[in-house]
Amino acid sequence: MRVMEPEDAVTTPAAGVVVRSAWQRRIVTFLMVFGPGLIVMEADNDAGAVSTYMQAGGQYGLHLLWLLVVLLPICYFIQEMVARLGIATGKGHAAMIYERFGKWWGRFSLLDLLAVNFLTLITEFAAISLALSALGVSPSISVPVSAVGLTLMVVTGSYLRWERIVIALCLMDLAWFVLAFMVHPHWATVAHNSIVPTMPAGGITSSLVFLVIAIVGTTIAPWQLFFQQSCVAEKRLRFADLKWARLDTLIGATFTICVAGAMMLVGNYGFEHKVAFQDPAQLALALGRLPATSFEIGVLLLMVNAAVLGTTAISLASAWAYGEVKGWEHSLHKKLWEAPGFYATYIACVGAAAAIVLIPHVPLQLVIISVQVFAGLILPSAIIFLQLLLNDRELLGDRWVNRPWNNYINWTIIVVLFALSLLLAAQVMLPNLFQ
Amino acid sequence: MATMGVSPDINGFRVIHPLDDVPEQKCSTVGLGKIRMTRAVRASLGVLRAYLILMTLMLGYHILDLSGLLHKIR
Repeated sequence: MRVMEPEDAVTTPAAGVVVRSAWQRRIVTFLMVFGPGLIVMEADNDAGAVSTYMQAGGQYGLHLLWLLVVLLPICYFIQEMVARLGIATGKGHAAMIYERFGKWWGRFSLLDLLAVNFLTLITEFAAISLALSALGVSPSISVPVSAVGLTLMVVTGSYLRWERIVIALCLMDLAWFVLAFMVHPHWATVAHNSIVPTMPAGGITSSLVFLVIAIVGTTIAPWQLFFQQSCVAEKRLRFADLKWARLDTLIGATFTICVAGAMMLVGNYGFEHKVAFQDPAQLALALGRLPATSFEIGVLLLMVNAAVLGTTAISLASAWAYGEVKGWEHSLHKKLWEAPGFYATYIACVGAAAAIVLIPHVPLQLVIISVQVFAGLILPSAIIFLQLLLNDRELLGDRWVNRPWNNYINWTIIVVLFALSLLLAAQVMLPNLFQ
Repeated sequence: MATMGVSPDINGFRVIHPLDDVPEQKCSTVGLGKIRMTRAVRASLGVLRAYLILMTLMLGYHILDLSGLLHKIR
């Protein structure tokens, strides 16, 4: 293992908070480290995820709740590796792939990431447009205003300011629990189906299998690997912060899975009342005719919130990755003119995706299929690189590499993700095989 | 210089935010070059290449199918 000299002069920091007891010290330290784990997980409950989870509830009721519980440790194990690598190296995932696996793999990963991220951004803006149209706001107003707002969030020259805004947006997702209580699910069935896998009526069909794959693909997205590592590096987390970063990641994963479960419960309301819907906005409008009209507004606004969260995190994942590989300044601590390439990438991603959504008759179905294909390419490769980097003793030394039990778990996860990605891609590209 | 984010203070502990703390020495790739091609690394990259080739072939087939060329050949 080699160590990198700090770039800045070493001085005794004057800042800090003085606390009296050890437990206060632990709480304050955790609060200072808290952020990247929650944001990366909750931003993954983006517009596509809202749609997928509600669809799962709408089609199969509460039968797929157990899948979310299975996905919780998987999310945690993957993102824990990302946080550990970020803290150990102080660099993003794209930069590490470039430096340790060479230009070919570096360029492949970067281009694939940028492509899948950009296509996903189009779906986020489409969701903003759809949800706000249902609330009576024209897309020609809602989409540009959202794009400007998303840009203003990051150009303040302060990482902490951005982080606080985004954590507040994450916490707004607590409202999903209120909506879940409003639809009065049968809690005993919820508890039972969360623990015991049950078969929906009709048994195992191709549509059920692919919804399961879609839920896995939605819950573990490729941009998350790049985002959290860059975010940890941006926040300059220290070696001693690892245990708090792990706790942050675990809290984020648990919160996200619970919110996803709440979305499924809301979708289940459509299932129980035979409300047919293609997207969450349709369900929201249908439920608006029921006594609780605030329900309709709640679902639509939460859909916008999900899309905003997804957009800022995904655009930042692209901008950080591109900036790292290009060797540009790539930090939210910098002013707009100090890191022009980094901010230009972020603004270009947001602006172009918003502009495309405003084009009439955009083939959104083609965009969604392309997202699935590109994600099928990038997710297995990014996870393989992550696993190999976490076994790179030459780089990390004995302290940071995976333990044998880490490797058993992670290789199992990787094999399953490879198989699911291949199956999903085959279903998208060779649908005749599954008829 | 590695720090712990906490330093002794006359009144207790001073907890320092990571962004305000002195920078740490991190694990660096400087001078390391590319990753060592162990059997595990070679096997993993081989599987990844095979996977990507398979995906590319499926994508190519799908594009040919969409363009109608496959129907003409049949």
